[in-house]
Amino acid sequence: MSSSANALAQQIGTGIELTGRQKDGSEFPIEIMLSPLENADGILVTAAIRNISVRKDAELHLAQMEGRYRGLLEAAPDAMVVVNQGGEIVLLNVQAEKQFGYSRDELLGQRVTNIIPNGFAERLIADGTRSAAEALAQQIGTGIELTGRQKDGSEFPIEIMLSPLENADGILVTAAIRNITERKQSEERLVKTVGELKRSNDELQQFAYVASHDLQEPLRMVASYTQLLAQRYKGRLDSDADEFITYAVDGSTRMQGLIQDLLTYSRAGTNGKALREISSETALKEALASLRATIAESGAVVTHDSLPTITTEGTQLTQVFQNLVGNAIKYHGAQAPQVHVSAAKDGGGEWIFSVRDNGMGIEPQYFDRIFVLFQRLHGPTEFKGTGIGLAICKKMLDGLGGKIWVESQPQKGSTFYFTVPERNGS
Amino acid sequence: MQSIGNGAAPIEVLLVEDNPGDVRLTREAFKDAKVHINLHVAADGAEAMSFLGRQGNFAHVPRPDLILLDLNLPKKDGREVLGEIKASPTLMSIPVVILTTSASDADILHSYRLHANCYITKPVGLGGFLEVIKSIDSFWLSVVKLPREERS
Repeated sequence: MSSSANALAQQIGTGIELTGRQKDGSEFPIEIMLSPLENADGILVTAAIRNISVRKDAELHLAQMEGRYRGLLEAAPDAMVVVNQGGEIVLLNVQAEKQFGYSRDELLGQRVTNIIPNGFAERLIADGTRSAAEALAQQIGTGIELTGRQKDGSEFPIEIMLSPLENADGILVTAAIRNITERKQSEERLVKTVGELKRSNDELQQFAYVASHDLQEPLRMVASYTQLLAQRYKGRLDSDADEFITYAVDGSTRMQGLIQDLLTYSRAGTNGKALREISSETALKEALASLRATIAESGAVVTHDSLPTITTEGTQLTQVFQNLVGNAIKYHGAQAPQVHVSAAKDGGGEWIFSVRDNGMGIEPQYFDRIFVLFQRLHGPTEFKGTGIGLAICKKMLDGLGGKIWVESQPQKGSTFYFTVPERNGS
Repeated sequence: MQSIGNGAAPIEVLLVEDNPGDVRLTREAFKDAKVHINLHVAADGAEAMSFLGRQGNFAHVPRPDLILLDLNLPKKDGREVLGEIKASPTLMSIPVVILTTSASDADILHSYRLHANCYITKPVGLGGFLEVIKSIDSFWLSVVKLPREERS
């Protein structure tokens, strides 16, 4: 044995873990503290022996737990931190080290407020009386957005998911922490882009309106005076002059139709129009009243089922009916046009309206094209038109949250369908 | 006070219109009118107010029996002209017919709030335009009894 001074230096304050053996041969873990005791015979050693089997169990438990969760923690894509009810970090994974810029040892045993200064974590932890079940019911599936703080003091947005973990010592809280800097940035970009898009869309709409309105004025003069010329001077100049005037009148009249339709198109589907409960039957009747002359001229028979009351914008619904019934009559087949309008509710709570005719029909390859602005399937000498009517319908229905499509067989007729979403349970 | 519309005295109409094409069309349409019409023209809002106030060159013009007023005018807007006419105790009794290309709900409502006597959107076609002027003639200048104040 070394000198008492040496022994003193070596042993004081340190507990050595050894194994004790009982009379019956069973062994148990002990911690032994040695202290030298000098007397006349030399140096004696006092050994304070403590049975540490209880503590050993606890440590084993923790080690087991750590072993059990370690793999899980490290496999997680997020930074994971396990916090006890004292708000101290008891376990963490490599992602957490990286995310916060600390080494494991620097964080273990530290308060979680060092890395998440404010927020739910501490509140949950502070509330020691909360049962695991209660905590569980409240927390699962909720992502809380907080701020994380790195070792160098820089902060970054995080989303945190808390779940309670009950063990022998009480409730631990597992926090899955995700750095959402990128998500936040792309959210901001998205909001900005949507704003810009809306602005440019509004401008475009305004432009289309102003342009078509202001174009109309000089055109009205051209049209009026060529018409006046035709009225007053037809047959009084030579035949060339008559022909030229005819083309001038025809061109200006067609352009007026185009501009009128463009104006309607630019106004179609604009937001801010009040949605009301209206009778779609009334809307159809208004459309048919506008088409009275066309119906009479063509000898068309327009029939309809009983149509529902829906919550929508009446003027636009009337316009849609007017364009669809007008087309059904215009593009007639060999027989006098027969048009039937009906409505049915689909499973999803939407009304599906249909306008069926016995007209010339449309070939399937044109089913989409006909709804595009200025797309026509006939020349102006076959059928007059601007190629805007169905585009107006589509834009109006888009604005009302509906859809439009066609089913058709050439020579047999077409059925145009459109939906109007159900609102307010009407 | 005496009523007009079927008497021998001509009817004085003030047309406030900046587009000479429309002025001419209006003249053409009034050619076939049932009554004798004196059509006076003011090319902008300021001129219209001078006419009505008989200022400067307009010192000797008659008081109009009917005003046809465009809304979009240079210098002084038709809406301002309408507001001033209907706020003036001496002019407010003159019927004002709004005749404009605007079909906007806002313009229509605003005009009636300013006590316009009627609002007409100019039809785009020649036939429609002539028809409108003829109906102004047959309604406002033949059917309707207009107030006639002492002419100075």
